[in-house]
Amino acid sequence: MRDGLLDPRAVLLHESAADRAAAIRRCGRALADVGAVAEPYVEAMLERERSISTYVGEGVAIPHGTNASKDDVLRDAICVVRFPAGVDWDGEHVTLCVGIAAKNDGHVPLLAALAEILLDPERARALREATKVSQVMKELTV
Amino acid sequence: MAQRTVAVASASGLHARPAKLFVQAAVRTGVPVTIRAGERSAPARSMLGVLSLGVVRGTEVTLEADGPGAEEALDTLAALLARDLDADEALDA
Repeated sequence: MRDGLLDPRAVLLHESAADRAAAIRRCGRALADVGAVAEPYVEAMLERERSISTYVGEGVAIPHGTNASKDDVLRDAICVVRFPAGVDWDGEHVTLCVGIAAKNDGHVPLLAALAEILLDPERARALREATKVSQVMKELTV
Repeated sequence: MAQRTVAVASASGLHARPAKLFVQAAVRTGVPVTIRAGERSAPARSMLGVLSLGVVRGTEVTLEADGPGAEEALDTLAALLARDLDADEALDA
């Protein structure tokens, strides 16, 4: 995965969220906190989710904004937010969100790399159950 | 083996939203379809598999299926890939 996309400060491993919208807001805030997106992007993430679920499988969702919100992306970045107690995601049980901010095609290889990790049950589990930021950085940046 | 080759038309390639619409359509056909991009392939009904192909706009992908309903299923899915699914977004809102 490309260097610089994941700021260790955007790896949050002990979060909780009452529902899907709260989880998405948490991801949006993580991206905003590292200067990757402007505030309106968070609403665009919620809008995208209403249009179609960003659940991808393996207990993982990848919330991101609509195409119309790309102007609110300041730089390509991802965040990793873990919800150990899980979040109901339209009937699916999500314990890990990988929030995405991407301006152009930058995020397609990024998603491909993430999907590759999640297709490997061992690496998917390591990512879902990570309790240290360094473990996540290792999985996603090597 | 029925086959269709089509260039992906969605502005953002086959990523989260267009990929999801494609996977949902593949599941609805009830026919096991394989999607191939270059040397990689994945079951069309696997979201992670489709995402792992890393398809950007203009990439040619090949759809393959066998057995009853294969031709119709491939026609449906190829037509979907040939559309810009990102451009449809405003219509969903």
